[in-house]
Amino acid sequence: MRRRLPVLVMMLFTAGAAGAQSSPPLDQAEQVRILLERVQQLEKRVAELETRQPVAPPPSEAATNVPTAPKPAMAEAAPPSAPAERHQHESAETQATVRQMESRYPSLQIRGFGDVDFSATDQKGTTSGFNLGQLDLHLASALSRKVTYFGELTFNAQPTGYTVEVERSIIRYDYNDYFKLSFGRYHTPIGYWNTAFHHGAWLQTTISRPDMIRIGGSFIPVHFVGFLAEGNIPSGGAGLSYNFGVGNGRGSIISRPGDAGDNNNNRAWVANLYSRPVKLYGLQLGISLYRDKITLPVVTATGNQFREWISAAHIVWAKENPEFLAEFANVNHKNILTSATTNNQAYYVQIGYRLPWFEKTLKPYYRFEHTHTPLSEQVFTNQDLVGSILGLRYDITNYASFKSEYRNTRRLPTEPRVNGAFFQTDFTF
Amino acid sequence: MNATSKRVVTFLWTVLWASLALHSPSIAQTSRGADIAVVVNADTPVAELSLSEVRKVLLGERQYWNSKLPVVLLIRAPAARERDVVLRVIYQMSESQFKQYWVAKIFRAEAASPPRIVYSNDMQYELLTAMPGAIAFVDSRNMRPGVKVLRVDGHMPGDKDYPLR
Repeated sequence: MRRRLPVLVMMLFTAGAAGAQSSPPLDQAEQVRILLERVQQLEKRVAELETRQPVAPPPSEAATNVPTAPKPAMAEAAPPSAPAERHQHESAETQATVRQMESRYPSLQIRGFGDVDFSATDQKGTTSGFNLGQLDLHLASALSRKVTYFGELTFNAQPTGYTVEVERSIIRYDYNDYFKLSFGRYHTPIGYWNTAFHHGAWLQTTISRPDMIRIGGSFIPVHFVGFLAEGNIPSGGAGLSYNFGVGNGRGSIISRPGDAGDNNNNRAWVANLYSRPVKLYGLQLGISLYRDKITLPVVTATGNQFREWISAAHIVWAKENPEFLAEFANVNHKNILTSATTNNQAYYVQIGYRLPWFEKTLKPYYRFEHTHTPLSEQVFTNQDLVGSILGLRYDITNYASFKSEYRNTRRLPTEPRVNGAFFQTDFTF
Repeated sequence: MNATSKRVVTFLWTVLWASLALHSPSIAQTSRGADIAVVVNADTPVAELSLSEVRKVLLGERQYWNSKLPVVLLIRAPAARERDVVLRVIYQMSESQFKQYWVAKIFRAEAASPPRIVYSNDMQYELLTAMPGAIAFVDSRNMRPGVKVLRVDGHMPGDKDYPLR
């Protein structure tokens, strides 16, 4: 007790002093404000001195150059040369940091995305269980002030191992904001989702993409090999931007873009025009057109060549209170031999809302989607779908989330509805 | 005083100190109110921007001042008041939304790198003067010569209708 008594007395004394200082919070706030002003005055004075004297003066000279402004007690207690030395040291450190931050080429950045999933449905013949989603590596490297490379590789789990896919490989030259030209393999700029979220599940609100642009699907040509021009259009408050590309179009397997070469002498082209109005920050409206000639590998009595027109539109409110996404696409196929024409339509509407509670980590969402392919369709196999998704996203950290979904879908009117529970944890690293 | 009393006294003092520490207003809380100036490298060919143009620059939708001069975005590290104002007024995003926005932006191949993070005013001014095309956001009370302050929506920092505060 004797040993602790001085400690207690000391604590009482210092606490009393602290209490006296801090009892009226306004006084303390005022003191901090005065100190801040003092610090700012001193910073300003140092800056003035620096501009007057490019070469740092000797410490004693610097001390004598400081005008007669009142000095803090701490500064008086320190040796006269200490602040100047400290400042010189800090300045050298800052200059070193500045040198480190200056651009160097090439400057490779790698980011990864991954997800682990669990699913269980009441569809006959399916089994529940875990599966490893795509492991996605994204590469971005500035090669000069105006030339940049972007790449995306995915590792996909298969029953017998893993497959590696080059999802995107793009080299881009930026002339200015109005014209950027690139060559390579892209996500086709049709609609919104396909170029907004790519393969990183963490980037999108939901577990999966809408069926009309699902990975490996064929309704929209998800990938495109060729060149792309893009940029802003001087349009004042309308905030217009464009993409225009020419490439191989669909390959013999129509879900693939003909990476190793086109299967006909016709190039596909795509044009995408969208607006981000200045007055409505968060809104995006857009239309897209895609034209191609499809050559199927199997020749039938009606031939194997088709003209394809895709027209699409989207409206997106890209904020989170609420988040709203809606896309529509019509895929028109015309048989070159018989002139028989079919139209396939698909759309989805998705809404989400970031809840204000629990540090804004929760985001419930709902999506309705519908795909229709007519019975007379000649290029696609049937892709009919009517489905709803109700889910909840929980952001575990800034870079990882957990999602749970209930899905109710039906492919054909004659088939029963399928109910399913889906879970996913996804992340970026 | 027995052992139990001593523990009680120690506990009470700990609580008192903790509450004092927690209720002390931080520097960030007390320094509110000053305007945040939009500052560029002196050679940047721009003198005025609307708030929506500032937003376009910060969102990475405008990446060039002209065809020869790319924009170099400088943003203070988290907890700096300048960053709070930029996120609240211009981005209208939380800290995590801001981070996610730039991850997505680079992933979409719309930008090669995120804004450069600066940790002090000194560093900010060094970069502003050293890097052509640099733009930063500075507490208007800490202005220094050698850089250009932009009008935003026709107003300078200190004007009544200046939007960044």
